[in-house]
Formats: sequence, C-alpha cells, structure tokens
Amino acid sequence: MTPAIEIHDLHKSFGKVKALDGLDLSVQPGHVHGFLGPNGAGKSTTIRILLGVLRADAGRVRLLGGDPWDDAVGLHRRMAYVPGDVELWPNLTGGEAIDLFARLRGGTDASRRDELCERFDLDPTKKGRTYSKGNRQKVALVSALACDADLLLLDEPTAGLDPLMEAVFQECIREARGAGRTVLLSSHILAQVEALADRVSIVRGGRIVETGTLTELRHLTRTTVTATTGGDARDLAGLPGVHDLRTENGRIRFDVDGDHLAAVVRRLGELDVHALTAHPPTLEQLLLRYYGDDLARTGGGAAAGSRP
Amino acid sequence: MTATTLPASARPASAGPLTGTGTLLRFMLRRDRIRFPAWTLGIALLTGYFTTALGSVYTTTEELEAVSAFSSSPAGALFGGPGYGYDAITLERFLSGQYALYILLGTALMALLTVTRHTRAEERSGRAELVRANVVGRSAQLTAALLLTALLSATVAALVTAVLLAAGHAPAGSALLGASAGAVGLVFGGIASIAVQIFAYPRAASGLTGAVLGAAFVLRGIGDMAAVQDGGASWLSWLSPLGWSQQTGPYALDRWWPLALSLACAAATAAAGYRLSGRRDLDAGLVPPRPGPPRAAAWLRDAPTLAFRLQRAGIIGWSIALLVAGLAYGAFAQPLADGLEDAPEELVAVMGGGGNLVAGYLGVMGLTMAFTVTVFALLAVQSVRAEEAAGRTEPVLATSVSRTGWLGGNLAVTAIAVPWLLLVAGLGTGAATAIGTGDTALLWKTTLGHVAHTPAVWLLLAAAGLLYGTLPRLLPIVWAPLGYGVVAGLFAPVLDLPDGAVRVSPFAHVGEYPGEEIAATATGILTLLAAALTALALRTFARRDLTTGA
Repeated sequence: MTPAIEIHDLHKSFGKVKALDGLDLSVQPGHVHGFLGPNGAGKSTTIRILLGVLRADAGRVRLLGGDPWDDAVGLHRRMAYVPGDVELWPNLTGGEAIDLFARLRGGTDASRRDELCERFDLDPTKKGRTYSKGNRQKVALVSALACDADLLLLDEPTAGLDPLMEAVFQECIREARGAGRTVLLSSHILAQVEALADRVSIVRGGRIVETGTLTELRHLTRTTVTATTGGDARDLAGLPGVHDLRTENGRIRFDVDGDHLAAVVRRLGELDVHALTAHPPTLEQLLLRYYGDDLARTGGGAAAGSRP
Repeated sequence: MTATTLPASARPASAGPLTGTGTLLRFMLRRDRIRFPAWTLGIALLTGYFTTALGSVYTTTEELEAVSAFSSSPAGALFGGPGYGYDAITLERFLSGQYALYILLGTALMALLTVTRHTRAEERSGRAELVRANVVGRSAQLTAALLLTALLSATVAALVTAVLLAAGHAPAGSALLGASAGAVGLVFGGIASIAVQIFAYPRAASGLTGAVLGAAFVLRGIGDMAAVQDGGASWLSWLSPLGWSQQTGPYALDRWWPLALSLACAAATAAAGYRLSGRRDLDAGLVPPRPGPPRAAAWLRDAPTLAFRLQRAGIIGWSIALLVAGLAYGAFAQPLADGLEDAPEELVAVMGGGGNLVAGYLGVMGLTMAFTVTVFALLAVQSVRAEEAAGRTEPVLATSVSRTGWLGGNLAVTAIAVPWLLLVAGLGTGAATAIGTGDTALLWKTTLGHVAHTPAVWLLLAAAGLLYGTLPRLLPIVWAPLGYGVVAGLFAPVLDLPDGAVRVSPFAHVGEYPGEEIAATATGILTLLAAALTALALRTFARRDLTTGA
C-alpha cells in the first residue's frame, strides 16, 4: 500500500538555522501517526512543507501520491489542516470562517458542521476577535473535521482546549480513523498520543530519532519492576540489562531493558515471589530518554559557556 | 470591613487607586522613547516648515493681500479658520489663520492615539492584566496615560512657541498659538479617555475619538464659513474644541480666555473617563460586542470574494471620505478661480497655469485624488502582508486555493476599487464644481479626468504586489515613488524641477484633464507595464516560502 505521507532525507534551513536535517517519515493510510518532539525540533516546519507553504531545500516528499509544492491545490482538496495557533479574521464570525473554509476546500456537509459545533460547544455567532484561544482552536477543528478529507494534518490541535473538549476531540479522531482517514498528529499531550496513535515518530534536531508502534518503542526502553521476594534478590543486580536495583521496605525495585526482560523474570521466579508489579515505561519516560541528552547537552553547554 | 480586622501594618502605606502611577508613567516614557520625540518634534518641524515656506513664497505685502483674498473666502475659511486680522494682513496672521489648524489637528491625533495606546490597547493585548496584578491601583494606568498626554501636549506647546519665536514672530501671539495647540491635546486626551471606556477594541475607541475630531473640524468649518460671510451661524465654531483654540486669534486678537473652555472640557471629559472606568471590568467595554451571522453569506466562497469581504469596510469608508473631499474641493473651484486672478505667478503655476484656472484646478485635483487613491492601494497590499504575518493566509492556502488565486484575488479587488474610488471622487468634485460654476459639462469632464489616472495607480499597485511577492520585507520601498510623484506633480514649478526629472514619476504621463489632454499612448503603456508587473508578482509569490510570525 502506498503511504499517505512519505518523506525521505528532507532538509530545510532558515538562513543559518537548520530546521530539518535529513528527516524521514512514513505514514500509512488509515493510521493515526503521533509526531512528537521538543519545541523547535522541526515538527511545524515538516507540516508546513507538507502543506506546500514552505519549500523543501532537498529531499523527497510525497503526499497522497502527489508533490506537496507542485500539486498543492489538488492535494488540499483531500486534506485538512489545524494549526496550533489559530488566527481568525477579527470581523468575521466563527460561523462565517467555518463556512468559508468549507467552500474554499470544495464543499462540506452542513448537518455535520452543526453537529460538530454542538459537540464542541462552539457559538458560531461570535466575531473572531472576541473568541478565546480555545474557541479559535474549536473553529479550526470544526472546519477540519466537517470536511471529507482523506488526510488530517494536526499541529498541536488541542492547545488551549479544556479536558471535556479534549475527550470530544479524541472521540472525533477515533471516528475519523474508523472512516479510514489518515491523521498526522503533532502533540505535546502525551496522554492524547498514547490514547490515539497507531504509530509514533520522535523528532529531535530536525531528524527522526525513533519511529514505531508504542509497543515497539517500549520494547526499546526499560520496564520498571517492583517485587517482594522470599529469597535474597540482591544478586539480580549482576544480571545483564538490570539497572538501579534498590531495596525499599523489604521490596526490591529495579529497571530492566526490554531485551532482557524475559531472562530477568525467569530468574525472579526462582526467588519465591510474594508480590510483583511491572509497568512499561510511559510515553513520558520514553520521551525523556530521547530528549534527556538534549537536557544534559544544554546544561553542559551552559556550564561550558560560563567558563571564561 | 476587611481593613478593620487587619492590623495597620499589614496594609501597604499607599494603596489607593493611584498606586504605581509614577512607575507606570516612567515605563510609558521608556516605551515611547521614539514616539515622544517623533510626535513633538514632528509637529514643531511642521510649524517650522509652514513659517519658512510662507516666508519664501510671499515676500511682499501685496502678494499676501492677494492670497488672503482667497483665504477669507468661505472655502478658505473651511480649510483654514476664521482669519482674524486679515484686513491688515501680516505673514504671522496668515500663518495663524490658514495653517495653525493643521498643527492643532496633529496635536489632537497625537493625544487620542497616545491615550488609546496606553489604555485600551494594553487591556486588549492582556498586558494590562499582568500590570494590574502587581501593586497597581485601579486608576493608575488611565492616570499615567493622561499625564503622559499632558506632558506631550506641554512639550508641543513649548516647541511650537520656540519655533515661532525663532522665526521672529511676535512673542505674545507665538506663546498663544503654542498654548492653543497644547490645549487641543488636553481636550482630545480627555475625550479619548471616555472613548476607551466605551469600546473593548482599540480601533473602535480611536475611531470614535477620530469621529469627534472630524465633527469638531466640520463644526468650526461651518461656523468660520459663516463668520467670513457675516452669517448668523458663526456660533457653531464655539461648539468645537478646535474652534476654541482658533478663537484665541494669535497675532490679531491675542486673547487667552477661550483656552479656559478647553481646560474645563479636558477636565470634565477626563473626570467622566474616570467615572466610566470605575463601572466596568478590565478588558470589557460599556458596549457589549454584538453577535454576528452564524453562517457565511452565499457569495463568500473563494479567494476574490474573501478579499472583497476583508476590504469591503475600507472601500466603503474611502468612498465616503473621497466623495466628501471631492464635494469640498469642487465647492472651492469658483471662489478659488476668482481669488487666484490676483495671485502670484508661482501659485498660479502650481494650480495648472493661467489659461483656464478652473480647468487647471480640476486637473490638479484629479492628480491629488490619484495620489490619495494610491495610498489606499498601497495600504491594501500592506494589509495582505499583515494577513500573512498574522498566520491567516496559511489556513486559506491549506484549502484548494492556489497562491496565484490568493494574491491575484486580493490584487484584483484592489485594482477594481481604484477606478471606483477615482470615479466617486471625480463625481463629487465634478458635481460641486458644476453647481458652483453652472457649467454642467464640467461634471463628466472632471470625472473623466479623475478616472484617467487609473493606470498610474495600477502601476504602483502592481509594483507593491511585486515587492510583496518577491521580498515582502522591502514592501515599504513602494511609498518612495508615490512621495516622488507628489513632489514632482505638485511642486515642480515651485521647485523649478527639470522636465526630465518630472517625467520619471508614473503620474506625469496621463495628463491632468480637463486642464490638459489625456495621453492615450501613455495610458496604454502604463496599463501594460502594470499587467506585466502583476504577472511577475504572481509568479514570484508562487515560488517563495510563506513568512508566518509563529
């Protein structure tokens, strides 16, 4: 099956700043693809190149089988976009803006529009300048979700939405996937990505550092195990893949690399286990693992910079 | 209630509604470190320019007497003032009677924009909330903004006085003219302090104060026109804050007491502003925002209609303003022609030469309107750029709207608005001239002369489009040819510019009909050039990255 989005070795610079440095990304049709990374990693630049408002310096980009720059207009009939910071025309109402976007895209289902306004609790009679940030976001979401797009490009789409609306959003995205649409979801809300994404790509410094299903990514990192045992568990510390073993109130606790989990659990079984919990890493831990050296590097950089 | 239960030491020593005013005022001065000198020195320079220019154009009393004949006509009174002391004309009386009005207008604009900028605009942006969350009293921001305006007005008064004294004018009149300008600043600061309470949006608040300023201009205009004809309606001038400052009659009557009216009005309006500000919440207006239509009109459906929807309010506003200006200019035509019969040669040359004064005047007015409509066109391109920078273009281009369609739609709407606005202005000028002179043929001749400038305006519009499409940061450069066009078009005879230098201006080729013939070839060439630049603009815009602020 042809991927909905296929990016190979994408480069983009703004002056001397390298925003994208050999980014690769492949999104399968019908998937919700999570796109994660720290601020300034290149997520929005990638999405803007996919939209055809920025031009790639080098690399191959295919979007729904077309070129996002040359075939922009034709492709845009089949996709919808929600930016993270929605600006509306101050003197047009939200309803006018939604209708306008729908018509510019080539038609929409009016009943679906009304239903979405209802679900997102949006008042379409207010002027653009009177909306709060969350409500401007709702205007963009309603106009994107009301159309029959094959592909949704969402760049931090729920920034500023309350938890109730977040739940409505997740429901809508599940429906969109149910209808066979593809979603590229850039987000900082990890619970949202964990709940929705079939696959996840982590971007850092303008390139993808990891990509896969959440299960695959979890396998790459450590599981935290807590156990109460009859036998002495301290020599577990010597096993390959075991980290940070410590004893707290008669319980042992350690992290184990995904690759060595099976062996360690076998060993643990011999130790007369009374109680055992093992939880996989959260997405937050996954991310911290990838951004962790970033933090260390900036910390180190600052320290180096402060030396005369 | 709470205070009685608190130990005295728990309350800050000063916790009134004005707490923090001093700090805020210093902060505003710091924020306005460019604007403050720009406004005050700008107005002082304008004064200096008036007095120097008048001094070099009118060197003899005979020349002054000739031009004051025009100035004491109703049209001269409308755009100048009551003209005190014209029976024994001096340069300083002519300056004060005919040009001081524009110093007053400048000061009023300075005051109203300053108050809005430091009160309502701060609230709208959310910065006022951050400030108010500190130890800052409820009225501190309004007070600091008014103090800043008072400081600006006092500086204008001092600088204008100093410039006039330096030019060698009478000390008493110079100080009075300066004080009159300062007084207008205080009054419009006060009026703005009411307007910013009423509307939640800075532009609406400035617009309301601006409308009051316009009404003040018209009231005193009608009053002064009545005054020069010894009509009964001259009391209307006394209803206008601009009128009070003009009624001081610097260099002629030299009376200070009308300024007491200004001070009383400034105090009363500021007091009303404080009262109203106590009755509303932060960031709320006294007029609640009205809901709009829940659905878009059926015609709003593609890039050109969106461009029209966004430019519509502007086009309507410009149409009204140009129609009114045209009617006023047209009403000028006959009295001006009468007045100019004795005018100095340079002035006659500026007005299109001695042959047929009315036709020459109408030709110059057509050119002036073409400059004005060019301002509209260039501002329209700037707002296209503002749309892009604000991030509103990106979601539109994310639909099935092409780059060419987006920019082409915007430029097309502006390009159609150009002949429309020239038509409206020409009809206004032509109608008033036809009525004034009794020559009905001048209606269509004037209208044709105005609309004929369309290709020249188009050329600058296309140049702006090309700059926007290629290097949007350089867009402001396009104001330069307009500025040059104004100088070459209106002042070439006075400045003695060589013919070759004048011909560089895009406005110098169509011809100032009915004073001159319309050059068909030049019209065609300008149109073709504009079309070529537009095509290039659409090509380059389709190739560049969007520059969004985010």
